[in-house]
Amino acid sequence: MSCHGSDCAPAPGRGATTTMPATLRVLLVGGPNVGKSTLFNALTGARQHTTNAPGTTVELATGTWRTVGPGSHGSAEGPATERVIVDLPGSYSLLARSSDEQVTADAVRELALSCAGPAGQPGVVVVVLDATTLARSLYLLAQVAQTGVPLVVALTMLDLAESASDSPTAGMDPDTLATALSVSLGVPVVPVDARNRTHAGRRGLARAVDDVAVRPRRVTGVGVPTRSCWARTSAAVPDRAAGDLALEYAHAEILFAWVEQVVEEVTRRAPDPTVQDPATWQRPPHRRTFSDRIDTVLLNPWAGIPAFLAVVWLLFELTTRFAAPLQSFIGHLVNGPVAFAVTWLLGLVGLGDSWVQGLLVDGLLVGVGTVLTFLPVMAVMFAALGVLEDSGYLGRAAFVADRAMRSLGLDGRALLPLIVGFGCNLPALAATRTLPRARQRLLTGLLIPLTSCSARLTVYVLLAGAFFPHDAGTVIFMMYLVSVLLVLGGGLVLRRTAFRDVRSEPLILVLPPYQRPHLRTLAMSVRMRVGAFVIGAGKFIVGTMLVVWVLMALPVTGQHPVGHVPVADSLYGRAASGIAPVLAPAGFGNDHAAAALITGFVAKEVVVGSFAQSYAVAKPGDAALPGSLGEQLRASFDQSSGGHGGAAALAFMVFVLAYTPCVAALAEQRRLFGWRPTVSALGVQLAGAWLLAVMVFQVGSRL
Amino acid sequence: MTLPESPVGAQLRVTRVRLPAADALRLNEMGIRCGTVAHVTQHAAFGGRVIAVAGSRYALDAGTAGLIDIEPVNPLR
Repeated sequence: MSCHGSDCAPAPGRGATTTMPATLRVLLVGGPNVGKSTLFNALTGARQHTTNAPGTTVELATGTWRTVGPGSHGSAEGPATERVIVDLPGSYSLLARSSDEQVTADAVRELALSCAGPAGQPGVVVVVLDATTLARSLYLLAQVAQTGVPLVVALTMLDLAESASDSPTAGMDPDTLATALSVSLGVPVVPVDARNRTHAGRRGLARAVDDVAVRPRRVTGVGVPTRSCWARTSAAVPDRAAGDLALEYAHAEILFAWVEQVVEEVTRRAPDPTVQDPATWQRPPHRRTFSDRIDTVLLNPWAGIPAFLAVVWLLFELTTRFAAPLQSFIGHLVNGPVAFAVTWLLGLVGLGDSWVQGLLVDGLLVGVGTVLTFLPVMAVMFAALGVLEDSGYLGRAAFVADRAMRSLGLDGRALLPLIVGFGCNLPALAATRTLPRARQRLLTGLLIPLTSCSARLTVYVLLAGAFFPHDAGTVIFMMYLVSVLLVLGGGLVLRRTAFRDVRSEPLILVLPPYQRPHLRTLAMSVRMRVGAFVIGAGKFIVGTMLVVWVLMALPVTGQHPVGHVPVADSLYGRAASGIAPVLAPAGFGNDHAAAALITGFVAKEVVVGSFAQSYAVAKPGDAALPGSLGEQLRASFDQSSGGHGGAAALAFMVFVLAYTPCVAALAEQRRLFGWRPTVSALGVQLAGAWLLAVMVFQVGSRL
Repeated sequence: MTLPESPVGAQLRVTRVRLPAADALRLNEMGIRCGTVAHVTQHAAFGGRVIAVAGSRYALDAGTAGLIDIEPVNPLR
C-alpha cells in the first residue's frame, strides 16, 4: 500500500504510558445520520457549546464529557474524570469534498500529528459505526485508523440493525456483533444506545476511551500512512490534480477490499444462516422494509411533492400562527408588568423619569424583550427541524425538492428555509443548518433576507391601501412575486460571482430509516440551540437597541434634556434628515420615509408605528380614509416625488422588501456566518434596495 | 442498460459508473461500486431513483442514475 509507513506511528515508549492525561481530547467522527450528535448529547448533557471552526462557518459542538468512576474501598462514587469532546461534522470520507468535511479531516490529522509528537496533546478518536450500514462506516474507520490515532469504536443503530431484513448483520445481537468487530479490528468496540436512558453503553465507552488513551491500540490490517499521504489529503477532492485522484482511487480500492474482508469475517459469526454465506450479504433476498413502504407514498412522483409542500406549510404555520401568540404574550409581559416594575423600582431610588430610566426601560429592556419575543419562534423552528431530521424525512425532502433548487446550485433542503423565510427570516436563517455544506448554507443565508417576511406585509398593507385602494390585493401579490424573482435573480447572480465554487453536484443521498424522534434528545438539542441564539445574537440585538435609544435620546436642536427629545430634534431625526436626500431619486426623499426606514432596520413591524409617530397620528384602521395616516402619506409622497406618489410608494415597498429585514436577522447572520459576509451582505442589500427603488420610481413615474 | 431503465423491485448489478472521477470516487466511498448488487425500491419525481444496497437506501437524481450502467441479476442465482 502506497501510504504505509511509520511517520505517524506512536512515539517510542508511548505504548507503555500508564498515566491518564490531565484533560483528554476526544473527537467524535462518523458519517451523516449515524447517531453521532445523539451520542454527543447523551455524553455531555448540558455541558456543551457551539462555535465555528477557526476561519470557517462550520459549526462545531464542544462539550465536557464527565464520568464518575467507582470509588475505592467499595464506596459508590470515586473521582470524576472530565474529557473535552468535539462533535465533528458528519463525513463519509477523509478525502474531503466540502469545507465541513475538511474540518473533520483536518481535526483528525491534527490529532494524529499531536499524538505522534513528543510533547503533543493526547487524544482519542471515537469512530461512530452505524451497525445498519457497516461497510460504509468501516471505510471511514479505515481512513481514520490509517492516520495512526488511538481509536475506539462506538457501535450505534443496533436496534435497527438487528431487525433490518436486508442488512449484512441482520439477526446479530448487539454484543455478538460488537465482539466480532472487536476481534476483527483489534480495537475496543462498544455498543451504545444513546437514545436510551441506561448508562451501560456510555460507561463502557468511557472506560474504553480512557484505556486506549494510556494504552493506544491500532486497527489491524490497514497500515499507517506516511506524511506525504497527509499532504495529499489536505486539498479537497474537487480541487485535486488528476494524478492525485488516480492515486486516491487506487488507495480507496485497497480500503474497499479491507472493508469487504472485515464484513465477511463479522457476518460469518452471525447466528442466522441466511447471512453466513459471504455472497449472500451482498445479495440478500429483498424485502420491503417499513421505511420502503412509507417511501412509496412520500417519494411517489405524484404524492411526494404535495407531501413535501404540506410539511413546509406546517413549518410555516408553526413559526407564524403558533408562535405569534407566545411572542405577543412575552412582548406584553416585558413592555407591561416588567417595564412597570423596573420604572417603579427606579422611582424608589430617585431615578424615576431620568435618562437612566430611559436607558434601562426604553433601551436595555426593549432590547432584551426583542430577544425574548424571538425565543418561541426559534424554539418552535429548532424543534420542528429536529423532528424532521430525527425522523429521517429531511433527506427525503432534499431529494423531492432537488430539481427546484438545482439551478441555483443548492441542495434541495435549501427550499425549506427559503419558504419559511416568507413567514419570518430569523427561523429561516436558523434552518440553513440543515444544509450539509458551508458554502450552500452561506448562499442560502444571503438569499433568505430577500424572502418577504410577514412583518413587511404590514408596510405593504398600509401603502397599498393608501395609494392603490382598489388594487391593494394585486399590489401586495406583486410584492411577493418580486420577492420570488429577487431570490431567483440574486441566487443566479451570486452563483456567477462570489459563489462560482458552488457546483451543481450529483445528488447521492443516503436515506436513513424512519424513526420516532426521541423527545429527551430533541429537548436537549432545542435548549442548546436556543441558548446559542440568545448568547450569540442576543448581545448584538440588545447592543443595537441601546445605540438606537442613544440616537433618539440625544438632542441636537432645541433645549431638551437627554432622554426627553422629540424625534425631529434628536440625533436620530437629524440622521433621517441627512439620509432623505439620498432617497430623493427613488421619490421618497422625505424625513418621514427616511425615519421609517431607519426604524425598519430594527424591525419591519415598527415601520407603520414610525410613520404614525412622525406624522403625529394614531395607527390607522383604514389607510384609505381621509384625514388618516394614509392621507398624510399621500401628501408627503406626492410632494417628494413631484406628483408621482403611487410610483414613490411602490419604490418604497420595493426598498422595504430588498433591504435588511431586521436587526435580529442581521445578528443571526453574524452568528452563523461571521462579520465579513454579514457586513458585505448589508452593503449589497442597501445598495441593491436603493437601485431597485430608483428603477421602480423612475420607470413608474414615466408611465 | 442504465439504472433508470430498471423497474421497481428489480435486482441489478452495477457494471460501470460514468460520473466524473471525483464524483465517482465519492459514490464508491458511499458504497456503490462496480459489482455492487442493488434493488430498485422507488421511482421518484423527475426521474430520481432509490436503490437498496446492503441494507442502505440511496437516493439518486435522474442525471446521476442515468450515468450508472447496470445489468439484471437473477435473485440468489
